[in-house]
Amino acid sequence: MRSMRDIKQRINATQKTSQITKAMHMVSASKLKKAERSIVRFRPLTERLYKSVARVIENDKDISHPILEGRDIEKTVYILVSSDRGLAGPYNASVFKAFQYYIEKHHQSNDEFIVATLGYKAFSFVRRKNYPMLNTEVIQVRDDVQFLDFQSVTDQFIKGYLSGEYDRVIVFYNKFINTLNQEVRYETIMPLEKNPILEALKEEENTRPYRRMYHYEPSAGAVLSQLLPMVIINALYGMVLEAKASEHAARMTAMKSATDNAKEVIRELQLQYNRARQDAITIELTDIIGGANAVN
Amino acid sequence: MKLTVITPSGVLYDETLDYIVISSKNNGDFAILENHAPIISTIDVGYIKMVKDQKHVFTVVINGVLEQQDNFVTIVAQEAHVGLNKDSAMDHLNAVRQERLEENRRRTMDFLKAEKELKRNIKEAKASKR
Repeated sequence: MRSMRDIKQRINATQKTSQITKAMHMVSASKLKKAERSIVRFRPLTERLYKSVARVIENDKDISHPILEGRDIEKTVYILVSSDRGLAGPYNASVFKAFQYYIEKHHQSNDEFIVATLGYKAFSFVRRKNYPMLNTEVIQVRDDVQFLDFQSVTDQFIKGYLSGEYDRVIVFYNKFINTLNQEVRYETIMPLEKNPILEALKEEENTRPYRRMYHYEPSAGAVLSQLLPMVIINALYGMVLEAKASEHAARMTAMKSATDNAKEVIRELQLQYNRARQDAITIELTDIIGGANAVN
Repeated sequence: MKLTVITPSGVLYDETLDYIVISSKNNGDFAILENHAPIISTIDVGYIKMVKDQKHVFTVVINGVLEQQDNFVTIVAQEAHVGLNKDSAMDHLNAVRQERLEENRRRTMDFLKAEKELKRNIKEAKASKR
């Protein structure tokens, strides 16, 4: 049996922890709302870009670009999107697990791929595993993430793709489904061959009763070669936003259950404390009664 | 004609104008007047001069796509900033970008330092042991 003071101390400590987790829960809840808003705001933008690409392609059937066509895969770039900080439940670990499972299945040696990381957790994971890395510096994923933050990575893999160094880019991230559900997904963002969104839009463009003839400034090819990298960067940005929302949701659920657990622990400790106090009182009483009896 | 400039953080500019002049590093300069044929163009780094009643303002754009049809011009840009003067607007945007990069670097440094300190404290306090 622990002493009353020990139990009291533990109750206090647990209470303080639960206060912190509760605060974190609420912070994540409000950040999640913000993240959801930015996803909603961003969606039409990507759609518009895809539409422009579909239009250019459908207007000029002969047009081609390396990003639109797949080629034999020799070297793949993987992008891991994670968070900077922990305490988000299985959020980061599930991405890493899915990634490791995937490369064990698809690659024999580490020379066949290179990994780019967004977020400190992914960076330290890849460094620990000794995978070849695209970015030598940590790229933090801030809550108000901007294109500029990961421009160094996007510049590198797009340039690498166009020069033939890399043949494919796959992103691993947590897709935001709802507050309780986040799903690890991997999606190929480059090349755009058989991209479902683009195919659907092309179809739509094709079935139109009339077609608008566009002017291109300076030429369709030039416009396309500017447009395609932008589409890819935007697709990646969209995924980062999704991952950001997932992170807050994951942290929210993790902190909620931590708070609940703390409550449970406090309840049990309180029971123990009461029992110990009762014991002490009983002992005191028997002492007094014993003493009184001795006097009489 | 109507011009809408959209960035990831929302609609930046939405006005009716007389005409616009687009100037970019990759494509040079051209203007779009009322009733122009449908046109698609891109802007890597450049600016748009927006004219109405002889007055003009500038929007600097980084990585944008311009699409015009039926007198509706839409510019989708990764980053954009409105200013009275093209140089000051560009300078402002560049300064903001530079500052952002600096801040990112600083944050990373602070973060790594904090992480190291936390690890040391955990070790000293033997918090990981029961």
